[in-house]
Amino acid sequence: MPTNLPGTDVVVIGLGAAGGVAVLPLADAGIDVVGLEAGTWLTNKDFAPDEIRNNVRDWPMAVQKCNREVPTHRLNDKAPTTRPAGHVMMNGVGGTTLHYWAQSWRLAHWDFKVVSETARRYGRSRLPAGSTVEDWPFGYEELEPYYDRVEHEIGVSGQAGNLLGTLDRRGNVFEAPRTRPYPMPPLRSTGYLDRMTAAAKALGWHPFPGPAAINSERYQGRMPCMYHGFCNRGGCHVDAKNGPNVTTIPRAQKTGRLKVVTEAHVTRIEVNDAGRVTGVTYVTGTEEFFQPAKAVLLSTYTYENTRLLLLSTSKPFPKGLSNNHGQVGRHYLSHATGASVTALFPFNLNSWYGLPAQGVAVDNWADDNFDHAGLDFIGGGNLWVYSDRRPIGAANMNTFGRAPSWGRQWKAFVKENADRVNSAYLQKTTLPYEDNYLDLDPAVKDPLGFPVCRITADFKDNERRIADFIQDKMELWYRAAGAIDIVRGPLGTMGLNTHAYGGTRMGDNPETNVVDRHGFSHEVPNLGVLGASVMGTSGAHNPTLTVQALAWRSAEHLVEHWKTIAE
Amino acid sequence: MSHTPLSRRDLLKLAGTAGAAAAAAPASVVPAEAQRRPSRPAREPLRALTAHEADLLDRIAELLVPSDELGPGATEAMAVRYIDRALSGALADQRDAYRIGLEALERYARQTRGAPFLQLTETRQVSLLIDIESGTATGANVGFIGSSAQFFALMRGHVMQGTFGDPHYGGNAGFVGWELLGYPGVRTVVTPAEQKLLSPPTAVRRSAYDNPMFNKAIVDQKPAGSDRDAD
Amino acid sequence: MASVVIAVTTGGMAAAQAPATLEVTSPTLTAGQPVPRQHTADGENISPAIRWRGAPPSTRSFALVCDDPDVPMPGGFVHWVVYNIPGTASGLPENLPIDPEASMPPAIAGTVQGLSGFKRPIYRGPAPPPGKPHHYHFTVYALDVTGLPPGLTRAQLVEAMQGHIVGQGELVALYERKPPPPPGN
Repeated sequence: MPTNLPGTDVVVIGLGAAGGVAVLPLADAGIDVVGLEAGTWLTNKDFAPDEIRNNVRDWPMAVQKCNREVPTHRLNDKAPTTRPAGHVMMNGVGGTTLHYWAQSWRLAHWDFKVVSETARRYGRSRLPAGSTVEDWPFGYEELEPYYDRVEHEIGVSGQAGNLLGTLDRRGNVFEAPRTRPYPMPPLRSTGYLDRMTAAAKALGWHPFPGPAAINSERYQGRMPCMYHGFCNRGGCHVDAKNGPNVTTIPRAQKTGRLKVVTEAHVTRIEVNDAGRVTGVTYVTGTEEFFQPAKAVLLSTYTYENTRLLLLSTSKPFPKGLSNNHGQVGRHYLSHATGASVTALFPFNLNSWYGLPAQGVAVDNWADDNFDHAGLDFIGGGNLWVYSDRRPIGAANMNTFGRAPSWGRQWKAFVKENADRVNSAYLQKTTLPYEDNYLDLDPAVKDPLGFPVCRITADFKDNERRIADFIQDKMELWYRAAGAIDIVRGPLGTMGLNTHAYGGTRMGDNPETNVVDRHGFSHEVPNLGVLGASVMGTSGAHNPTLTVQALAWRSAEHLVEHWKTIAE
Repeated sequence: MSHTPLSRRDLLKLAGTAGAAAAAAPASVVPAEAQRRPSRPAREPLRALTAHEADLLDRIAELLVPSDELGPGATEAMAVRYIDRALSGALADQRDAYRIGLEALERYARQTRGAPFLQLTETRQVSLLIDIESGTATGANVGFIGSSAQFFALMRGHVMQGTFGDPHYGGNAGFVGWELLGYPGVRTVVTPAEQKLLSPPTAVRRSAYDNPMFNKAIVDQKPAGSDRDAD
Repeated sequence: MASVVIAVTTGGMAAAQAPATLEVTSPTLTAGQPVPRQHTADGENISPAIRWRGAPPSTRSFALVCDDPDVPMPGGFVHWVVYNIPGTASGLPENLPIDPEASMPPAIAGTVQGLSGFKRPIYRGPAPPPGKPHHYHFTVYALDVTGLPPGLTRAQLVEAMQGHIVGQGELVALYERKPPPPPGN
């Protein structure tokens, strides 16, 4: 029998990017919050610049709860199911922001209105067959104040390209308008990035430094980035990487209204017969607890958000919590970030330091920034160049068919070329489809005996065509900068990803969406969902800042409508 | 088999197994192949591997990242010391994979090249490793679990970690791996000037854990693969 | 894609005639018979000696490809690619080097090994999955050109040879691996 705990106002399940931000507006408003986090606290002392630990043995990711419940994947209903070796995300106070790349983008206007904008500009027939894409229930303008709030609250560095309609060519001239500049200037450039910037300009493109939730100067009393080269899958030794663990969570704790419980593994969200949430059941070690609450915010990352809802069956919700319309798990997508391009240069790049968020971007080929008349796809991709190189990674470098992967020839090749190779990050528009979805695996279980999440998904023609197009553009860019050889990677399949969306999509129509325009369940009034699981399109940029803006907005909505939602 | 320089008798024995072409060559030609064995730092007491397994891995590591005119390799880096320490700690659940894989490798050497691995000429050893790498060393009775390519990838990965990883883990001795790549080293501060040129800054040679601020206790933490229930 | 430099013959009419048939033999391979162990992954995996006869006078070089069409992939699996074999050669000796820095025997000086399906410029012999015999086609081409660039795959070699094949022949051998005995033996 679970031990009953004293009740609280709100339980936030998961203190990652989304939940970790939502706790602050709640606590500031005097609402009591219990934050249940499956992982633990980590500090900057835990983050040594150690490639074996961070990048080879995948610490701390590899030791987390999520690694014991890795989802399975199959391409479609008829295909066999496989299971990746490990989870790409982690648990902890701050969640995956503890080690993520911290790129911090706003979405474009177009991402909110893919259906109506495509119909207007090219005709409805250009929407890919089989896609269930809908316009978001609101546009960019609705979210702008929250983007702005979060950027200042946690600290995002960048260069504005559009301030209230006035373009600034030092920034992204394609971005949607901002009301304020970034709170900090962008991360600095490097010799190599200067060269790539010049090459993009020579092509007639509009390169600019990308925004990052990383301090480019001292901010809120924290140090600026040290550019030491271990940011990728590594935590920050000077707290310059701005996750909720060093910003919104301690601030919320200071109000006295936030209680953080670590190593708390939530197994069920409980409801009463009237179909209202009453609290959650969680396990810590071998003990089980019931934490009563007036409202619950679910923010456990996309796969677990869906899984926990499907596992929380009850009389009012026999198919899973908030799933009477059968929409939980649907409209799933993971970002098309494969189809890589890697270049070999005939000179050193000095790429051993820096970080993935320190780079130069080109958005000329993203979203609807270019005319798609005569093309056979909609959307596009962000071209992102950065340097990120460590020794063991260099030893595993692509040899461009010029040497095998060991031996004398290999040694000569890497000795000459270890610092002469660069790969680009190419995030591309991805859409939801009827046959891409999440559900529970019928056979595979986690250590507690619960079925793990199953992903049934693959990229479709639209994604493949964008991938080819973007690879062409990236190759052009590298060669313009002096690259002598290019290798292209495959797009891959829509498997486990750090950018996963959908499963609890947000929209006005309860027949096709799980949560309403504020992020609250259509079926369960006092249940909110935070995270990219509510997003209906991916855009060509990282999801985290959008997730955090939405989370802040949902929390604010809960504060402003506390009586009607929670009481 | 130890790594003292081969006697003339050993060299002639090797010539006898190398096939007609080598036997026809003057005996002075054969030593060139055998001479490429660097002087190895003294082996420390083994924690997980047997002496014979360590001998095999020493030779394999030498072939994967050789010592040559370009500089030292996996032998000087003490890559096998890294593997031995890992197998007695964080990677203990891979210890069996080495026992089975190395036994299969020896069986394959005897069956296909007629002698234990360490008694083969370098050319034959390289040829054998290529077969194992490509997954074709998976004939009847050899004994690799699944494809031999999987075991090769495991070994190669560990040799690379042992050559190029932080010396705290027992490899990259004397920073020879980082020297080979031209990696300028672990810094906790990188200045704008150090990123502006296209050539790397001056090398600093220290382990991440020479900095007392970092928590060492978690270094040996096992990946959760060992915790997961069987699917 | 590799750019190919071709030294064109001054002979004129060679490409217009039908290619001659080459007779392809080997001291260790017999047509229709199992490949001896030493040329397979169950043995030393050394390349077999191959001999040919019947090349026309316009021959400037020879090329050789060994592939296994029984592997279910387009074009089968490629085990060996060799080219720029001097037009004066009547065959390849056994055991071509696997070290790219080693030199070829003088009689075939200039010979280049291209990239096999194992992505290495060497011979790797039969290693079929157990259960049924696979066929290994050793195809020799006489060409009226030479000087093809290094590092070609079979597909690139075939493209480079288009219009320059003045002779062709093959030897087909087999190999089969038995399934492992059941446990307990």
